Amino acid sequence: MLKPIIRNTATTLLMLAAGAILLWPPPARVAASQAKQDSLAIIVNQSNPVDNLSTAELRAVFLGERSHWPNGRRITLVMMEPGQFERDTVLHDVCRMSESDFRRRFLQGLLTGEVLVSPKTLSTPVGVRKFVFNVPGAIGYLRPADVDDSVKVIKIDGHLPSDAEYPLHVPLRAER
Amino acid sequence: MSPILSLIEAMRRHSISRFANYLFLLPVLGMLLNADVLRAQSSENGTTDQQTIKLLMERIDKLEARVQQLEAVQHAPIAVSSRKEVTSPQTAPASGPADASHQQPSTQTQAAPGAQTTSPQEHEAEPAEHAEAERMDLSKTLLRIRGFGDVTLHGDNYHPPASLQLPPDHTAFTLGQLNLFVTSDISDKFKFLSEVVFEAGPDNIYGRQRGVANTFGVDVERYLLTYSSNDYFSISAGRYHTAIGYYNTAFHHSTWLQTTTGRPLLFAFEDQGGILPIHNVGVEAYGRIPSGSLGLHYIAEVGNGRESRNPIQEEPVQNIITDKNHKAFNVALFARPTKIPGLQFGFSAYRDLLLPANQPVGETILATHAVFSTNNFEWLNEALVIRHTPVGGRLFDTPAWYSQISRRWGSYRPYFRYQYINASSNEPIFPDISLRAGPQAGLRYDASESVALKLQYDYTALRNQRAVQGLEAQVGFTF
Repeated sequence: MLKPIIRNTATTLLMLAAGAILLWPPPARVAASQAKQDSLAIIVNQSNPVDNLSTAELRAVFLGERSHWPNGRRITLVMMEPGQFERDTVLHDVCRMSESDFRRRFLQGLLTGEVLVSPKTLSTPVGVRKFVFNVPGAIGYLRPADVDDSVKVIKIDGHLPSDAEYPLHVPLRAER
Repeated sequence: MSPILSLIEAMRRHSISRFANYLFLLPVLGMLLNADVLRAQSSENGTTDQQTIKLLMERIDKLEARVQQLEAVQHAPIAVSSRKEVTSPQTAPASGPADASHQQPSTQTQAAPGAQTTSPQEHEAEPAEHAEAERMDLSKTLLRIRGFGDVTLHGDNYHPPASLQLPPDHTAFTLGQLNLFVTSDISDKFKFLSEVVFEAGPDNIYGRQRGVANTFGVDVERYLLTYSSNDYFSISAGRYHTAIGYYNTAFHHSTWLQTTTGRPLLFAFEDQGGILPIHNVGVEAYGRIPSGSLGLHYIAEVGNGRESRNPIQEEPVQNIITDKNHKAFNVALFARPTKIPGLQFGFSAYRDLLLPANQPVGETILATHAVFSTNNFEWLNEALVIRHTPVGGRLFDTPAWYSQISRRWGSYRPYFRYQYINASSNEPIFPDISLRAGPQAGLRYDASESVALKLQYDYTALRNQRAVQGLEAQVGFTF
């Protein structure tokens, strides 16, 4: 008499546990204080006609789903080296994936032919700025302090890095 | 001697006619006198002039930067490909507004050992320059190769029917496909892609299905030259994976990228007994369709199609010659809604004419898929029907589908797949397929970013035969 009840209860509990594990959300990233953050400017070549991108468009660009600008230039993505706050911010807030997922994503994209060019990796903000300055289809990211007139800062969802509503923030450099 | 004294001396020593030759000195004289005046003024307004000069120099710097930028726009490919020249001491200013003060200490430690420096300032800037130039050149190298491979330990209880006169399967270590994935950016618009695979057929022969056992052979699985005009139109010519459904174009010749140890039965390669024209030789066009957040894409293909599968051909892909003038056509349409990242759904229609024993058989393959794939969760669903119509004969429909689900926890990813193929025993093209259905369950463990270990159990029900159970352990890797 008791055995079926125990068996059914155990089965139900197991199914509930399995469902809870499957649907359990990933741990939220601990938000750093806004006061201790820089904005992360998205920069393109001065000749690029694009002035604004939505976050969805930016994600498509950084994941290689879009490979050309409206003027026909091929998009060349410039990333900083792994482990840098700027790169971590782009991976987490724009691509929404880990470092290994990002690499795997591009490898698979290259294999399918969907991604035309793998990202260029540069070690310094100066290098990123110079690359974007030199390559008409390049897109990268910098802290506002590292930006000068040689590159163009584009708006994200209509906001510039100086706006309060700007979506991309990176911890201050001194905190590393 | 001052210019004024020189002029007086010339007047004294030479005739008037020769004196005329010195007339050009007059403007110089004027300039020198003015300079004296300016020098006098500068002593009074030195601070103001220095500020003016500084402002002018800054303006010149900006104008130079702008000119270089415009030149870079006009000669973009040259600017990228000749990056080393740009960073050489003679032309260093052309690389844009260098700012050595922003160099981080860590980047200076990456200096190229042989970097030549001519001044302390250049010494600071050059190491990073060379490091960047090397990286850029690496990514711009004409030929890039990425490798994939796997080794599998497989065992099952399959006993072939006596009519086939084949030995039973034995537990064996199996070398999987050794795949060299080669890409090349030929130019801004042209790109080359190929997969050169070293592989064994069922009788242990790499690259061929018949011959001396345990030998290697080479198979060029993909071979594509692509012209990419914009996001809305790209065209490729060569040998490609036919855009039937989702799996065939999402996963190519690499088990490492796949969650499971192998492809679904439905998408097995032709030389491994697969039922679909996985490869084709011809032309394909593809791109996005302006559709806002719906994210529509199209693919249109025309190629040689495959040689008839009955009897099973050694190489059904018609790489060089074909058995007919008729061409195979395929059209696919799919959507990737931007509001639901990871979701893709669509359909494709393929049409060809096969000639088994010179008896024409029309082939139509209708496929549909709905896929949701994110970093941690994967749910693949595909279904298709293969319709064969011998001329003057009855229609044979072969339905097939699979569903695969997996979820990742850290380095572990358990998965489950159910697959189903049901072909008539009288099917004119697939007389050997019959019914194949059953579950697969397994666990993938990513030992590192490039190495995956998989353990998988297979159960396949067969028509009028004992079900086959198998166990596989596989290590798949990329290098």
